[in-house]
This record gives sequence, C-alpha cells and structure tokens, in this order.
Amino acid sequence: MTFITVLITLLALSVVTYLVSLINNKLGAYFTIVTSLVTLLLLFLLKNSIGQLASISLFTFKLTTVGWYFSMVMVVVYFTSAFLNPFWMKKMIYPAAYNLFYLVSLIGTIGMFFARDFITLFIFWETVVWTSTFIIQMGKSRKSSYVYYVVSAIGSMVTLFAMMLVYQVSGTLEISVAFNALTGQPVLALIVFFTFLLAGLSKIGIFPFHVWLPMAHGSAPHTFSPVLSGGLVKMGAFIAYISVSAFAAYEAFSSSFTIMGIPAPIYIIMVLGAISIVVGTVMAIRQDDAKKLLAYSSVANGGYILIGILLFDQLAFAGGMLHLVSHAIASATAFITIAIVAHRTGTTKMSKLGGMIHKMPITYTVYLIAIISMAGIPPMGGFVSKWLILQGLADHGLLFIAAAAFFGSIGSFMYVFRPLSAVFLGQLAPKHENVKEASIMMQIPMYLLTIATLLIGVFPKIILKVIAGIQAEAGIQEIVMVGNTIVVANGVLDTFRVFVVFGYGFLIALVIFILRRKSRRVTLMDTYTSAEFVHTPELLHYSSNFYAPFERLTKKPYPVLNLYEKVSIKIKEIGHMAESLFSSPKPAVTIFWIIIVFAIFFLGGVL
Amino acid sequence: MTVMNFVYGFIILLAAFIFQTTITGFNRKVTARIQKRYGPRWYQQFLDIFKALRKSSITHGWIFDFGVIMALGGIMATVIFIPVAGFEAFPNMDNVYIISYLLAIGMLGMAMSAAGSGNPWASIGVSRALTNMLAYDIPLMIVIFTLIFAFDTASVSEIAAMQQGMGILGWNAIRMPLGGIVAFIALFGMLGKKPFDSFIAPAEIASGPMVEYGGKHLGFMFILHELMTFIEVSLILNLFFGGGSSILVYAIKYAILYTLVNIISQVMPRYKIDQAVKFFYRVPLVFAIIQGLVVIFLGWGVSVWF
Repeated sequence: MTFITVLITLLALSVVTYLVSLINNKLGAYFTIVTSLVTLLLLFLLKNSIGQLASISLFTFKLTTVGWYFSMVMVVVYFTSAFLNPFWMKKMIYPAAYNLFYLVSLIGTIGMFFARDFITLFIFWETVVWTSTFIIQMGKSRKSSYVYYVVSAIGSMVTLFAMMLVYQVSGTLEISVAFNALTGQPVLALIVFFTFLLAGLSKIGIFPFHVWLPMAHGSAPHTFSPVLSGGLVKMGAFIAYISVSAFAAYEAFSSSFTIMGIPAPIYIIMVLGAISIVVGTVMAIRQDDAKKLLAYSSVANGGYILIGILLFDQLAFAGGMLHLVSHAIASATAFITIAIVAHRTGTTKMSKLGGMIHKMPITYTVYLIAIISMAGIPPMGGFVSKWLILQGLADHGLLFIAAAAFFGSIGSFMYVFRPLSAVFLGQLAPKHENVKEASIMMQIPMYLLTIATLLIGVFPKIILKVIAGIQAEAGIQEIVMVGNTIVVANGVLDTFRVFVVFGYGFLIALVIFILRRKSRRVTLMDTYTSAEFVHTPELLHYSSNFYAPFERLTKKPYPVLNLYEKVSIKIKEIGHMAESLFSSPKPAVTIFWIIIVFAIFFLGGVL
Repeated sequence: MTVMNFVYGFIILLAAFIFQTTITGFNRKVTARIQKRYGPRWYQQFLDIFKALRKSSITHGWIFDFGVIMALGGIMATVIFIPVAGFEAFPNMDNVYIISYLLAIGMLGMAMSAAGSGNPWASIGVSRALTNMLAYDIPLMIVIFTLIFAFDTASVSEIAAMQQGMGILGWNAIRMPLGGIVAFIALFGMLGKKPFDSFIAPAEIASGPMVEYGGKHLGFMFILHELMTFIEVSLILNLFFGGGSSILVYAIKYAILYTLVNIISQVMPRYKIDQAVKFFYRVPLVFAIIQGLVVIFLGWGVSVWF
C-alpha cells in the first residue's frame, strides 16, 4: 500500500463524513471516530514501508521513522478525542464544518510530517493552521482565534521566508538536501536557523510566542482542546527536529561560540525553552479556569520537549521525544476529563466546582493518573521522560536550564493538584447533586489513554525502541535498554521494578489498613471547623485563590502581555489612520488623493 | 528480583520505622529539656502510634481511605530504595531522581486524602505544603544536580561511597561548603521543622492536612511521618555527610544530624509561607547556583582533597 492511497482514502472519507454530517450531524461525528480509527490502522501498516518515496502533482513525500512517530502520536490523540464529538454536536454552530475540519486538520498533520520538500511542508502546515482556526472560532470567543491566527501567521510567514532563502542559495526544495548549501556561510545559516524555527516556536508555545496558547486552548470547543494541546502543539517539535537533523545546527554552528559544548544560537533557543517552563508553570499555578491551567502547563511542557530535542544526543533527545508522547497522552486525558466535567456541569471554573469525585469516580481516577504522569511521578509515563531529560541535562552540566526544569517539575505538583482538589475533591455543591458519571462512550477514550500512560510508565521500551530507530536515522547514539532497564552514562532506571515495589508497599499498607477496625462513614459537612457553624457546602470548599501566598509573590510575573497589548493598539491606530485616509466619505479627501496620484504620475513622467 | 529482595525490603522498612520512632521519642525528650520540661518516656512515640491504630476512626469517603493507603504505600516503596550503609534491598535502584519523585507519590496520596475530607483547613495546609516544597526543593535539586555532574552518577549509594575513606574532609558538605549549607537548610524545609512549619501550624490552621484524621488514619499518618523523616534525613546524610561505612556509624551520624536539626528548630520562629519562598530564593538558591558554577567551571571540590 502506498502513502498516496492512504492520503486519498482519508480525504475521500472526510468528504463522506462532511456529506453525512449535513444530513445527520451526530452520525457524522461518529464517522470522525471511524475515520480516525481507519487512519490509525493505515498508518500502523505503513510502518513496514518506511523509506518509501511518493509524490502526487506538486507534493512529494518521504516515509521516515520520525514522521511515522509524530503522526502516530497525532492520530492517537485525534482518535481518542473524537469520541467526545457526538456529545458536542448540539453546541456547535456549524457541526458539519466542524467534522470536516477535524479530519482535514488530521490529514494536514500527517502530510506535513511526511513532507519531502518545503512546499509540501508549508502547504500542509497551513492547512492545519487554517482548519484549526475555524474550529477554535466555534468555541467561546472569537478574539482567541484571531490571536491564534495572527501568531501562527507570523510564524509561518517567517518560516516561509527562511525556506525561500534556502531555495535561493541551494536551488532545491528538498528538505534533506537544501540545507547542505548553507555550509560555510555562518551568517546565512544563523538567519535561516532563527527564521526557520520561528513557526515551530510559535506552534509549541515557546516564550514569547506562547500568548495564543492559553487563549486558544481555553476557549476552543471542549472536544478540540485535547487535540490542540496533545496533538497540534507537537507540530512545533517537528520543526525543531528538522532544525537539528536536516539543518544539522550543531555542525553549522560548530565554529561559533559555545556554552558547555552547546553552540550559542542553539543555547539561546534552549534558554527560551527554559523561560517558557518557568512562565508556563507560574501562570498555570495562578489560573482559576481548569482549561487555561492545562494550557499553561502545555507551555511549560513544550519547553521540556524543545530542550530535549535541541540537545540532540543519546539521552536528552530520547527524553524529549518520549516526553512528546507522554505529555500528549497525559494532556489529552486531562483535557478530556475536564471536558466531561464541563459537559456535565456547564463550567470549567474551578471555584464553581467541587466534590465531583462523589459523582464521577471514574473520571476522577483517570484524571489522577493523567496528572501523576504530567507531574513526572513514577510509575507513569511522564516520569521516564523527565528522568531522561534531567539526566541528560546533568550530563551536559547545563545548570540554569536544569534549574528551570526543576522549577517546572516541582511547580507541576502545584498546578496539577489544584484542579484535583478544587474540581474533584472537597465539598460537593448542592446544585451538583444530580450530576452523572461520564457515559460509556466518553469512558472509552479515558480507558485507552490511561492504559497507554501506564504502559509507557512501566514498559517504556515500547516507545524507546522507536526512538532508538529515529536516533539511528538521525545518526546519533541510540538509547540503550537492557531488558527493562534504561542504561545511560550516569544512571540506570528500571521502571518495572519501581512499579512492582510501589505495588508491594501499597499491598503492605492495604493489609494493615484492612486488619484494623472499620471506620465510621460521616458526611462531608461533618468536619472540624474550629467551633464555627457553617451550613453551606460552598463556604466550606477551599478552591478560589488556592495558592494565595504564591500569587502574592508573583503579582506582576512578566511584562510581555502588556507589550503585545500596546503593539496591537498601535497597529489598530495605524489601521484606523489608513482607513480614514482612503475610505473617507468627505469629497475633500478624495480630491486630495486624486491630486496626489496625478502629481506622482506627472512628476514620475518628468523624472 | 527474587523473594529475598522483598524480604530485605521488609527488614529495611521495619528497621527504619523502629529506629526513627526511637529517635523521635528521644528528641521529644530533647525538646522538652530545651523548654525546661521533663518530657515523655523515650518509647512514648510507639505508644502513641499503636494507640491511634487501635482506636475507632471516621472516614469521609473512599478517597479519604485510598489516599492514606497510597501515601503509606508510596513512602514505604521509597524507604525500600534507600541505601543504608551500602546495603540495598534492590540493587541499582537508588537513583536520586527515583527516590525524590517516588517520595512525591506518597505526598500526593496524603494531599489527596486530606483534600478529600472536605475540610478547608486541610486544603490550605496542602496548598502551603506544596508551596513550601517549591521553595526548598529547587536549591536542593540544583545542588544534587551539581553532585551528579561532578561524580557522573545519580546513584545515592555510589555518591555516599565516594565520600568515605577520607574522614570528615571527604564529605560533600565540606568539599562543597555552600552546597552543604543549602542541603542542611533544605532539610529543615523537608522535615517541616521551624522556621518552615507553617503548613502544619496547629494554632493557625488546626494542623493543616492532619486536621480530619483520627484512629487508624492518624496512626497511618504517624507511621508515614516517621518513614518520611527517615527518607529525607537519609538522603541528605548519604549525599552530603558521607553516609556510613557500617550500620553503627550510619545510625550515630543519623541521630546526630536529626537531633541537631531538632535542637536548632526549637529556637526558631515561624516564617509565613511566602516569606519562606522568598528566603529560599534569596539565600539558598544563590548559594546553590554559586556552588554549581564553581563545580562546573572550576572543578573545585570534585577531587581537591588528595
């Protein structure tokens, strides 16, 4: 089976989905599940034909391990969040369009990951940006989709500039060859490196291009937020990968000033990654909206992925690539659980929720496992990837970046615990007395993703094998596994053992607990309140201003937002000025322009 | 992994619990003498724990119970991985990141159970405890990072072994004095000793996370606290004070370190939580970074004592 067949099949299926949605949108939503499942299966089969070249009209593709890896992550996220689509059809303004865009953006990502030349890469990239812009617009606010589009457009245009620059120098558009022309031209290489990377940085939400992320993720339709955070953000990581593999940034800047063996341009980008870890973490801790909180956590985790990939070595690179998967899964799971809570209660504001565990125990458990992974606690997937990144950073001695990584990983305990406590634990408000657990259909993706998180955490070999393949393809040292143990220069990790010993400890504790006398069940309101009489559950629920001391400390975290605000006001003013000059109803203005044009015409003739 | 590993693990657990509880009992007496009291008997802590386990208790729902079990389970697993004087129940599992992150699952369990009780005091306590953790852990992790870079291993027992055989001069706390200071201060934060004890502040937020516990739950919390203390003191002892070449040396050093922390904390006032964060980011963090730069760029303290 060729790649082109797959692509055309998917395109045909998405058109069918659109037509079906026009008749019955709920049935169309089920079609998105089926189509993404078909995509998953077809892609899985394509694994055997890696190395294949394909082309159709303008577009040329090459099946690579890394492309396969990225697109598998993407399709898993699309497939699992598609299960929510049928429940949100009623809330969409254009349900048929939503289903179509959902699938087209999926096809766009796949095409992009397998692109062989710049034009294919760019066109498929833009397809994803456009379709997702329209989807985000169907959510809570229009402004967020504008911001998303503007940031994405700036990124893509600058990257297009880099592509054209490379084309001018090399005369070819093929990604793997074109960059070779830059050897021996350090200044040009520097320009291309920063401009080419910009689309990736803006997509993965690296500081200072992260502003769109919380807005778009926070206000996108609840069904699309898992895709945005778990999937589309990872497209930026792919650009980062190209910049170190095909572009070979380490060789291009080998003569430049180095910091701990890292060339300065790459180090600068890594520092941006470190800053986004800190900014994302601090802002996530301060959020009250659960979706915005998770969006900021994506900013922070994007920083980890970027740092890992840019280090491009045996250890941290494997960590970054694994973090891509573990974060994609954990974040998609967390967004799905929040989406379900929002579906049942109608809000994502943490201060308005509470005690959901008593109504939705399964959703709670799933969220718990997702955040254990997101915070990088064993025995879940996130731990393995963070461990690899931290060991890699220690290997290089990158102190400041490691400091940011530590801040991000301890800070993640804080921000993941906030929704756990404020949404699921604590007092149940009386108005939520009749809230129901997620339906079976919604539970399916939660089970799938939870199993995946656990599997990666206990047997990371499954993923690390593929990553070793990518490392071989890129020509760097492969990650070594002996049995279940990851063996690196400065440490070993056997996650299966960690899991078993944790189970052992849990078992001992459980036995002691069961052997002791059974405890008496009391209600939630039956608590110690220091002799106060409180009869309203809402008043006993501690959820707003959760980290008050920390919020006091970080009142003015960073001035970038203000700067953007000012710039956008100035641009608007200039726009208004231009508008008043050209489209004024006053005849005087029109005559003024006519005179100017004639003057230029005649003067131009004379000169 | 054989059955013997699990048996050794259980022995470490039991020994750690008995040892630390005895030390705690002894330290209750030390505290009392500082406050000019007579103090309870040295085995009072055992009596308290077993009494709590025997009493009846209340529960606020399944998460209240589950969290307690998960907390103790996670902490027990961490204790099993702690190398004591070169002895490890599971060889090669004493990676410092595994220990410090596995510890977190115990803390998460405890926080979950406390918040699950529905008592606002508990949630406030948890939020303070997490903020406190953000304060002390970053300077400490930077120093540990420096150690890993310097010795090219993340294994706690290997780092401990490298410090032995040179007497007191071999200790990392002496070789890297700023790092030693950071670790010692961070130990106060980890143990929740004054001046960093505002998350349990009994007079202010009714003991914070512990407010709703009684009976066997409280007994669990006591055991958990003893084991957690064992993990934290052992970690600092192994990484910065040379561990111990034999069990006896280890136990003596351990007792001295813990008692010293306790004595100092008794004469300290209490920081508000944001003051604690400010303090840790002003002094220990700067020390840690200076220490890191000195080790990474100058190489001082790695092999200077020969």
